[in-house]
Amino acid sequence: MRKNNLRHFQLISIGICLLAGTTLSAQNDLLAELEDETKDETQYTFATFKGTRVVNLQSPEIPGKGVLQYSILHRFGSFDNEFFYNFLGLDNAQIKMGLDYSPTNWLNVGWGHSSFQKVYDGYVKYRLVRQSTGAKTFPFTITGFSALYYKSQKFTDNLPHDDTERLSYVHELVIARKFGKKFSAEIVPAFTHFNVVETKDNNNDIIAIGGALRYKLSHMIAVTAEYIYQVNPNDYTHFNGNVETYANAFSVGCDLETGGHVFQLFLTNSRGVTEPYTIAETPGRWLDNDIHFGFNISRVFTLQKPKVPKEG
Amino acid sequence: MKKIFLTALTLSAFWAQAQQFATRSGEVTFFSKAAVENIEAINNQVSSVLDLEKNQFAFLVPIKAFVFEKALMQEHFNENYMESGEFPTAKFSGSMEGIENVDLTKDGKYEVVFAGTMTLHGVSKSISENATILVENGKVKLMTKFNIKPADYKVEIPNSKQKNIASTIEVSVKMNYEKK
Repeated sequence: MRKNNLRHFQLISIGICLLAGTTLSAQNDLLAELEDETKDETQYTFATFKGTRVVNLQSPEIPGKGVLQYSILHRFGSFDNEFFYNFLGLDNAQIKMGLDYSPTNWLNVGWGHSSFQKVYDGYVKYRLVRQSTGAKTFPFTITGFSALYYKSQKFTDNLPHDDTERLSYVHELVIARKFGKKFSAEIVPAFTHFNVVETKDNNNDIIAIGGALRYKLSHMIAVTAEYIYQVNPNDYTHFNGNVETYANAFSVGCDLETGGHVFQLFLTNSRGVTEPYTIAETPGRWLDNDIHFGFNISRVFTLQKPKVPKEG
Repeated sequence: MKKIFLTALTLSAFWAQAQQFATRSGEVTFFSKAAVENIEAINNQVSSVLDLEKNQFAFLVPIKAFVFEKALMQEHFNENYMESGEFPTAKFSGSMEGIENVDLTKDGKYEVVFAGTMTLHGVSKSISENATILVENGKVKLMTKFNIKPADYKVEIPNSKQKNIASTIEVSVKMNYEKK
């Protein structure tokens, strides 16, 4: 009998607790309930960098699905003794024009031509994973970039050449993170391969590690800095006869955004406008005043409008 | 005794939620009409609950789920204006006036006033908006249109963009609720 009473008492207490719980949850704010239901939804980070490039390095960004991007890249002549003779570096400017298109939100394909060594290039850029919080949490956005370059400049040595000698390749793996509203950083392991190099002592494969930072001053202006360290840089013969080692490219710049345009203005020691030449064949050094003013301009056109998932 | 308790528990739980209607796929669109361009965005991942018994409501709008005509507009909306990394949702909750007239047993159209607190871009304001509630075969739908001013919620539009973005934005809401 006593045992039975105790059991009843236990049951009643449990019942009261449960009832109290039900009533409490019903009294809870509906909004808190909704927030609780949705709090685990994955939030993806966006706009880690403004443009699809920082300066010479790729950024993790890919234009949205159905977007065509037209870009013009310029590197003016250096601030050397001939700077004014070359009309503020304009006379010996290098230019690259490019078009790229995103058939999906994670893939971008592009084509371009650069006046530096008359290089044609084609590339694919693909986002592997996005920085996110919530149900799926990941600390970085990782984007791959693989490009093929064809140097079309005529050979002048009157020796027989094969077309494959003109090819080079660059692969970049952009590992980026947005820290808060203003600051973003990326680390970019890069692999460059030249089918043919100048001497047999030179490396065909150059390993490099790039790093870039971005800090937003306002919604429309940001400052950027970028450095590409070569693990095994090649030597080259300077026109003064000295054998020198190719420099690491360092750039500082600023991003300006106005609607559909992004203007990137910067100073860099790199003269080449395409990746193999900026990463592995930059002769100029900042300390020798071999600094070039340059800009990247891009404009986007929406060819295919984003579709809204239908309610269902 | 145990059985009675369990039955009572189940019943009470059922009863407490009996008059709740909810959706996770409500639609909110907005329209901005300005000199240079019109901007429209649609979001159909809006969560909402109506509690007809307690006369309470709540809406939760994930800002990043607004889809625009151009991907870049969506980026600017999130990054420059709504700052959705910091303020990922807009919220509206409060109580309803005129909900007692709603008869779930027969089809009809009712005007109800939703009064409460709107939180947008981290700024909370008391607002009160009229909405139409439709009852169809025991199902509840809600429709309304109202205006909001970005400036009221400290969403800054720079001078250079005032020809692109209206100072008053029209918001349309369509909810198809399911009984919870």
